[in-house]
Amino acid sequence: MKQNRRGGVILALIPFVLMVLAFQLVPVLSMVSNSFHSGDGKGITFGNYVHAMQSAYYMQAIKNSLFISIASSVAGIAIGLVCAYCITRFTPAVRDRVLMVSNMTSNFAGVPLAFAYIILLGNNGIFTLLFKDWGWDVFAGFNLYSWTGLALVYVYFQVPLSLLLLYPSFYGIREQWREAAALLGAGRWQFWKTIGLPMLAPAIFGTMGILFANAMGAYATAYALVGGNYNLLAVRIGSLVAGNVVTQPEMGSTLAVLLALTTLLAVYLNHVMVRRSGRFVARAADKPQPKASVVRRLRPRAREELGQ
Amino acid sequence: MNTRKAGLAPRVLILLLMVYLLVPLLATGLYAFAQDWQNSLLPRAWTFDWFIQMFQDLRFMEALWTSLYLCLISVVVSLVVMLPAVFVITMYFPRWESLMKGIVVLPYAVPGVVAAVGLIRTYSSGPLNIAGTSYLLVGAYFVVILPYMYQGIRNSLLTVSAAELLQAAELLGARRRQAFMNVILPNIWPGVMVSALLSFSVLFGEFVLTNMLVGGHIQTIQIYLYKRVGESGHLASAIAISYFVFILVLSMVLMKLGKKMGGVRG
Amino acid sequence: MNDYLKLQGVRKLFGDACVLDNVDLEIREGELVTLLGPSGCGKSTLLRCIAGLTELDGGSIMLAQKDVTRQPPRDREVGMVFQSYALFPNLTVGQNVEYGMKMRGMSKAAQRTRSEELLALVDLEEKRDVYPQSLSGGQQQRIALARSLAVQPKVLLLDEPLSALDAKIRKNLRTEIREIQKRLGMTTLFVTHDQEEALIVSDRVCVMKGGRIIQDDSPEGLYTAPRTEFVARFMGSYNVFTRPEALKLFGRVDSSADSFALRPEAITLLKAGEAAAAEEEGRILLDASIHSVSMLGNIIRCTAEASGIRLTVDVLNDGSWLRLREQDQVTLVLDPAQLRHLEREGA
Repeated sequence: MKQNRRGGVILALIPFVLMVLAFQLVPVLSMVSNSFHSGDGKGITFGNYVHAMQSAYYMQAIKNSLFISIASSVAGIAIGLVCAYCITRFTPAVRDRVLMVSNMTSNFAGVPLAFAYIILLGNNGIFTLLFKDWGWDVFAGFNLYSWTGLALVYVYFQVPLSLLLLYPSFYGIREQWREAAALLGAGRWQFWKTIGLPMLAPAIFGTMGILFANAMGAYATAYALVGGNYNLLAVRIGSLVAGNVVTQPEMGSTLAVLLALTTLLAVYLNHVMVRRSGRFVARAADKPQPKASVVRRLRPRAREELGQ
Repeated sequence: MNTRKAGLAPRVLILLLMVYLLVPLLATGLYAFAQDWQNSLLPRAWTFDWFIQMFQDLRFMEALWTSLYLCLISVVVSLVVMLPAVFVITMYFPRWESLMKGIVVLPYAVPGVVAAVGLIRTYSSGPLNIAGTSYLLVGAYFVVILPYMYQGIRNSLLTVSAAELLQAAELLGARRRQAFMNVILPNIWPGVMVSALLSFSVLFGEFVLTNMLVGGHIQTIQIYLYKRVGESGHLASAIAISYFVFILVLSMVLMKLGKKMGGVRG
Repeated sequence: MNDYLKLQGVRKLFGDACVLDNVDLEIREGELVTLLGPSGCGKSTLLRCIAGLTELDGGSIMLAQKDVTRQPPRDREVGMVFQSYALFPNLTVGQNVEYGMKMRGMSKAAQRTRSEELLALVDLEEKRDVYPQSLSGGQQQRIALARSLAVQPKVLLLDEPLSALDAKIRKNLRTEIREIQKRLGMTTLFVTHDQEEALIVSDRVCVMKGGRIIQDDSPEGLYTAPRTEFVARFMGSYNVFTRPEALKLFGRVDSSADSFALRPEAITLLKAGEAAAAEEEGRILLDASIHSVSMLGNIIRCTAEASGIRLTVDVLNDGSWLRLREQDQVTLVLDPAQLRHLEREGA
């Protein structure tokens, strides 16, 4: 009877399994195996990886990507932290409006975003021309289609995300703790050093992981802004596989596997950190403790929300 | 310490943040209405020409239509596949839940470029040669929205305590399919609609997979926008800002829906 | 013949853990039986087995002379009320009550008459067209009761129906449930972890522990004659003594039991010096000092220490003990006939 009761419902899983196999698992596996194929299609080899490591061109793409991802994530975290703290000082109404704006602008990414920056700061951008007109030469050396320009745009799409992911943890720091710390003789700075920042640390590192993965995988913005002018891993992979230059699927697969490894690692970091901060939150919860089963159900949800 | 009264520093900083976030948007918006905008803080003359041109452009209307129906089909396919699957896993095979979760959160961690490489590898040769077709794109879109759909459906099932409702219905004599159709589905529907709309707006802004998988063959609104950027700035602005307003309306509907549901249960 | 619901050798394993260990239980028609025990004792699992929501690993379930062990829930004609009500939020109160009848294909008119009848029974006729979310917890639970009764189940299962409600509503609703059950002659199985609730509503109480029924008795029997230490402790403030303690207090005991129980109200408390007047045949007098006193309203509960053993004593609060204080010297009067000899666990 057990089999009977469940036998019928298992049919409902078949379309899901087929779709996931066809469009997710098989392609990923095929890509991984392809990265171990040599160019002539025979045998298993690490040659592609060795080649990628030895090629100055590919290494530059990897380095550029890592560098711009780390830089834009750090900048995003720094701005996000300051703004998240500021937000907690406002009334809920103001806070919600600020959050709504950042939520709104987080939709503004990819091609349209690159385009907006071209209008503002491109070669014939409004500000570029204005500044030239006014004789401001602070921006004379600025070129939107270079590393600095790209970094500026990356930071733009990192900040709203960082703010949205970080601000809830500031609400996890309760006013009573500050009061308790103050009564125990801790100053404002000492409180943040000994209690505030350690409490925030998991959220900061976790958000860092998400921002990093976000920047590593960003393709549309870079593609629309600098095209092939700036050597980035994601853009390189795109041109190797489908581009109109030399199509080298094995190399494309190899670089794609390398890229996926960095983002997987970053998302895993986030996962670990969210679990850690979940421990704090569970203990510090204001509300009466729900049943254990409920806690278990709710926690993964929080993790996934961070995964967005 | 008073949390309600914001000091000078927070006010200035948040103001700066708002300016930073909104200037590119405003500039795009103004540019779309500007007849000519050079060497001045604000445009000198305004016009609706760019919007008129946009709607007169047949390729734009085609791209818009393509985007709409591709996104719609993908979301519908996802609903049809995911609703029964998530329901069955949550209700009958809770042990497999972590496996399913692992599968559906993968798209979060694997960037679009990487997914595209795998899909091109698999479908550009061999028995299933669907490279460059909308079938491949719908499949890819299905994977992109997996996490949103899974989370939305599962959370809805948990908030309505679907397991108990199902048991209550079965004890009252309902068959499993009846119970699903007239007890579970109506109760999770609002939550599921929210995640469907969210998925729709995510797909509407998708560029990487579309460009790499079918870029040469199928023009969605994003591809079209990319192609027009080089031609006319003002026209592209008009398209970008229309796109943005569309997404904005969509997310406002989402927020309203979310609040309404919160209100019913709260 | 008399046993309307009959469980034989019911077993259930969750992985390696044995949640139900050869449970036998018989319930007569119209009887209200309570399954009482701490959380994790298997009482809810047993209920779910009867409903068919959990499958058995062994044993059989007979309902009205019919073997229902392998039947799916919808064919068992069993009504169940959940702790969290489980009302369908997309349906109105009336539609909720009519749901089961609709599933059985009853005519619209019959559904309507019956649901009105039941809403009247739980005194909520005027809520027919509202949605359950707008009702209070107690009202929702009454609707859930009406819904499960609407299809005239052979047995009604109540899974901690009151534990999500606050104390006052809980007391009202439990008497209401009992009255409805008696009026309809509904065979009912009630699960709770609250011993007071169990004693008040039941015809019979089964105390469960570790997946087994360890005592099956009338409420009076259970309260006055707990069979094991676990039951004695679970029933409330029983004094439980080890054999050496009992020997010390009573001098001698007429059994080989290892532990003993004495109800706190079976001990009489006398002011020091009054003792002689109250001397009776066979009673034992002990000098004691009061250790703590708490006012429970109509009862004063104090702990007293005699021969190094601490006892709980309940005294009726009739005004004569107003000045009872800690450290007061008193005399305890013990009646050996009231001493319960407890069986060993698992015997």
